[in-house]
Amino acid sequence: MNENSRNTIPVGPYHPLLEEAEYFTLTVDGETVVDIDLDIGWMHRGHEYLSEQRTFTQSIYLVERICGICSTSHPLACVHAIEDVDNIEIPPRAAYIRSLVGELERIHSHLLWLGLAGHFIGYDTLWMWSWKYREPVLEMCEKISGNRNHYGMMRVGGVARDVDPGQVPEMMDILDMLEKKMQMVAGAAKDDPVLHSRLKGVGVLSNQDAIDYCAVGPTSRASGVPGDVRKDEPNDAYGWVDFDRIVLQNGDVYDKLVVRVLETLESIKIIRQCLEALGESNGEILNNVKEIPPGEGIGRYEAPRGEVFHYVRTDGTNRPIRHKVRAPSYVNIPTYTASCRGIPVADALITLAAVDPCYCCTERDIKVLTPDRDPSNLDLLELSREKTDRIRREINGS
Amino acid sequence: MPDAEKFLERMGDKITEVVHKPKRLYFVVKDDDLSEVAEYLFHIMKCRLSTATATEVHRGIEVLYQFSDDSTGDYYCPRVVMTDKEHPSMHSITPIVKGAEWIEREMMEFWGIEFRGHPRPERLLSKDHPQNLDQPYRFRRLS
Repeated sequence: MNENSRNTIPVGPYHPLLEEAEYFTLTVDGETVVDIDLDIGWMHRGHEYLSEQRTFTQSIYLVERICGICSTSHPLACVHAIEDVDNIEIPPRAAYIRSLVGELERIHSHLLWLGLAGHFIGYDTLWMWSWKYREPVLEMCEKISGNRNHYGMMRVGGVARDVDPGQVPEMMDILDMLEKKMQMVAGAAKDDPVLHSRLKGVGVLSNQDAIDYCAVGPTSRASGVPGDVRKDEPNDAYGWVDFDRIVLQNGDVYDKLVVRVLETLESIKIIRQCLEALGESNGEILNNVKEIPPGEGIGRYEAPRGEVFHYVRTDGTNRPIRHKVRAPSYVNIPTYTASCRGIPVADALITLAAVDPCYCCTERDIKVLTPDRDPSNLDLLELSREKTDRIRREINGS
Repeated sequence: MPDAEKFLERMGDKITEVVHKPKRLYFVVKDDDLSEVAEYLFHIMKCRLSTATATEVHRGIEVLYQFSDDSTGDYYCPRVVMTDKEHPSMHSITPIVKGAEWIEREMMEFWGIEFRGHPRPERLLSKDHPQNLDQPYRFRRLS
């Protein structure tokens, strides 16, 4: 291959589709992507360090704000980690409520992605369907927690808020409607020749690459890797409810889409079982946890994008001495190196979007060194501008 | 953890300070033995690397790798302790586990740890940072 025929296409620092800050350098030979380099570090977070300055209860609120979509997954993994330090049990009713909220989040996240994916490939009907049927799910979240996002439900030892059994029949009706609509969307997605021709065989992540890159969630399950925390380590109510693990084999964008659509139907099954259990009885929702002993704990939860992992190390005080957060996108984004090589440029963007990347989850902290004062948001803005200017100069060759 | 017994039997001479909790096995491994332990966990036991965590403690800087056995839901966590806080250095496992590339680069950046044998020892988050950052990001609380 002639090196001189290669060109570089910058994608970013704002994703043309996903509207988050990241930067890819696609090296192309004609129409074919021959290499891709990823550059993150565009957002300034610092939640691991901030969490270590806060009490356990405050940390739960903090990690809830890592991501607007996974606003149950992070706090749930966080409380699992803290509970793992001392093997703290939770009441059965709290377990059902946790799984209920977690699955509602999975449905609205998958529908959000499905709508965006439809929009990316010019299939706006799919986008409008998905976002239309996402609304009742968000309304259910609002009925349960008072918020469409950032539910504030998780506590060490249980949950903060009970589900009113009187609301269960109404929510069951919404589920019945949603199930019919999702079956229609699933049928449309699986049978639509346009989706087949646009997505099948595009951006294939092989089974071996998914294993090598330690990919998680729908990204790996579409490549035949069966990992699903809900089945592998069934926390909360997942050991008591009946649902299937969705695994497909081709690893292309189409299979990633189908995995998410079918998982939505499984989530509806789980929610229905949780609501049945919650409607039949009352009980405690929170065990009183007075202190966390010295030790370390691992907590994880199957977020919509895959396993979200939290590690907490404690010293007997009311705050962690180390809190590690690993979002699923952190291990899924590097798979681009495998899935984008050899594909046409036109397929690259939908392939980049297919893992449902979340960059605000992925980013870590950045320390800005200013000698005489604390950094302000203007310093951060200035840093971003300098970086953008440098890249612009490099591209223009001046 | 039935597989843990097999693991302890096979790797027992390479690990110390074993902490056995339900579904969790934490242990300390020497830097020179880390590659062999990682190879066994990843290739023989088919574990997946969830992530790795660096922590500063009184005795030095610890790096804890978290391997998940998805067939059982168990975690195997080899811990490497580096007592030289000024110039912490250890072997990289990225040549064995490709999925360790980013997290080792991140630890390199945040904690100043040198990962010997890493195929791409560059900064992950701040390679374009306009300021000359020649010190680790994380504030050293215990030094």
